[in-house]
Amino acid sequence: MKKVIGLMMSLVLLFGVLAGCSNSESSGEAKGDKDVDLKVWSFTDELKKPITKFEEKNGVKVELTIVPIADYPTKLKPVLESGVGAPDVFTGEIAFLKQWVNAGYWENLSEDPYNANEISDNYVPYVFDLGKDENGDVRALSWQTTPGGIYYKRSIAKEVLGTDDPAEIGEMLTSMDKVFEVSEKMKEKGYRMFPDEGSIRWFSQGDDPQAWVNEKDELKLTDQKIEFLDYAKKLREESYTALAPEWSPSWFEAMDKPIKVKESGKETETEVFSYVLPTWGLHSVLKTNVEDSVGDWAVTSGPSPYFWGGTWLGVYNKSENKELAYDFVKMMTQDDEFLTDWAKETGDVLSYLPVTNEIKGDFSDEFLGGQNNYQFFLEQAKSIEPGIVTKYDQQLDTFYGNAVQEYVDGKKSKDEAIAEFYKKAQNAYPELKVPKK
Amino acid sequence: MKNLNRYGYAFIAPFWIIFLIFNIYPVALTFYYSFTNYSGSGTAEVVGFANYQRLIADSYFVEAFFNTWKIWGVNFALQIVIALILAMIFSDARVKMKGLSFFRSIFYLPNLITVSSVALLFGILLDWQHGSLNMVLMNIGIISEPINWLNQPTTAQLSVSLILTWMWFGHSFIVVMAGVSGISTDFYEAALIDGANRWQTFTKITLPLLKPILLYIMITSLIGGLQLFDLPMLLTDGIGSPDGSLNTMVLYLYNQAFKYNNYGYAAAVAYGLFIITVIFSAIVFKSMYGNERKQARRV
Repeated sequence: MKKVIGLMMSLVLLFGVLAGCSNSESSGEAKGDKDVDLKVWSFTDELKKPITKFEEKNGVKVELTIVPIADYPTKLKPVLESGVGAPDVFTGEIAFLKQWVNAGYWENLSEDPYNANEISDNYVPYVFDLGKDENGDVRALSWQTTPGGIYYKRSIAKEVLGTDDPAEIGEMLTSMDKVFEVSEKMKEKGYRMFPDEGSIRWFSQGDDPQAWVNEKDELKLTDQKIEFLDYAKKLREESYTALAPEWSPSWFEAMDKPIKVKESGKETETEVFSYVLPTWGLHSVLKTNVEDSVGDWAVTSGPSPYFWGGTWLGVYNKSENKELAYDFVKMMTQDDEFLTDWAKETGDVLSYLPVTNEIKGDFSDEFLGGQNNYQFFLEQAKSIEPGIVTKYDQQLDTFYGNAVQEYVDGKKSKDEAIAEFYKKAQNAYPELKVPKK
Repeated sequence: MKNLNRYGYAFIAPFWIIFLIFNIYPVALTFYYSFTNYSGSGTAEVVGFANYQRLIADSYFVEAFFNTWKIWGVNFALQIVIALILAMIFSDARVKMKGLSFFRSIFYLPNLITVSSVALLFGILLDWQHGSLNMVLMNIGIISEPINWLNQPTTAQLSVSLILTWMWFGHSFIVVMAGVSGISTDFYEAALIDGANRWQTFTKITLPLLKPILLYIMITSLIGGLQLFDLPMLLTDGIGSPDGSLNTMVLYLYNQAFKYNNYGYAAAVAYGLFIITVIFSAIVFKSMYGNERKQARRV
């Protein structure tokens, strides 16, 4: 009998494994389908609906391949290099955008017949500029803009700060010093300003944003970024955060419910006042994790403007179907009718100004208590500096984030943390000129 | 006769074709890349031994080497001890444990779960502020402050070792049991009649006769262990945090190649790893069989 149970258990698990395999196989089979007119690769399922619309409109068949973001560059690169099984259109995320626009995989859209430069005035400037390669030619376009803000809970704001008006709250957060003043008030009433210390990293650029690496390949650690070490440490030491690291289960939980924080031998229950997130944070993070506090949120600006993420798309330069491919890019980025529907349906903040000018007036989000977040984010997008994005950003941000964490945890002194950061940067990118310390 | 020969080649051809394309060719190509500064796209420039020179002086690679050994070593010691104890219990003629196949399945189950699920599960269990482990320990009163398991080098490495032990002791147990059941019961009966106790039976009969099996487990585990990658990659931020303590050799290779785009250097790291694996496999093999040969000659 026990043998049978054992066998059954192994079988169940085995079938689980096999089922997983067969799924991926069947999606792989679709690739060999010869009826497909256009192949699109992306890292989210966001494009599913637009593709259905595109198929209906043009009477063609489009195949979408979704590769999770962690594997996306690794899987796409060999395909683009060899051209075998390559997509006609593929998207790129901000983290590797700079590398890709210069790698030459995307068709040059500044040339005939695309002439994308002519429509540059139609876009939020920083979004359009980021799609250009080092020669200033357009390689990729984007339909969205992803500036960030601080999402906070109205009820807590009213109780502690006496108002829940986004404009007034924004006034109280125009510098890091002011952020700490508000944090102190929050603490007095038993709340925590942010979930974790990393929350403020977007403001570490201060009022003078500089690229991590300049034209001479020199790594630049600005004074503002060094100051950020102290800010992060202060957040921890003054107990302004709920010790819930970004993307951890507790980070999500604290959005909707009070959470318990264990420090210096005692456990306290507290609520988190605000989350530092961009446009998409509203739809794909807050809305999907919040049930009880719907309508109790609002969004306002922090000490400095920032943007986080964003998806660009372009035409593969070895595609055999460039015309249709660009038609799809055009629909995603320049089609008034489609983009108006898209914005109304998803709430995505668009970078295409002819549409945003049309619809921004009467936008309001119930989740944010009726606030017009559209107008707010478009205002923020105007003050974003495009020139500071480099291909090194993602890794250098991670390295610096680690350095900050080790300093905050008290494992390293400030100088040690910075020295370690320089060492890691040099190891990963031998071509950089790193300051010797 | 000649025709027969030709048939023979035809039959082994499929293996060789696949082996050449999918094993030998990439290995050779990697060897070539290890002498270039290939960055994953564009052309590769030959740079001679520069990558190997850098490898020898690379403190991160040395760190990764020792991390890998620490994590694997603790895991292997625990795993083999647990497997042997269990094998002793189940093979004991006096205890007559029942349900061997049932427990065999149970012990083997953790190995069937994909590593990513395991990492996710333990990530939640070991969470600093809200993990079950800390809550249990605090409720019992063993600790008063929650321990940030995955944020301190020692506890992070220990966590990975213990998770690996949990995943692999069942596998080792099955192999050891297979070895034990291959030992003739005559030896045990004779030992019983001679009045040997359990410990004597184990050390004088079971262990010596299990030597080839233990060697097999050790070498396969060593080769797998030196390639330790997925758990350290998934448990923390993927670049070996905290403090570089989960930076293993293959993780370092992966990051150099796919995150930093230093494909040429990563190829050199791969060959460094290969040489290390060969050396240590040889040492293990020698130390376990070398003595035997000497003794045989003496007799």
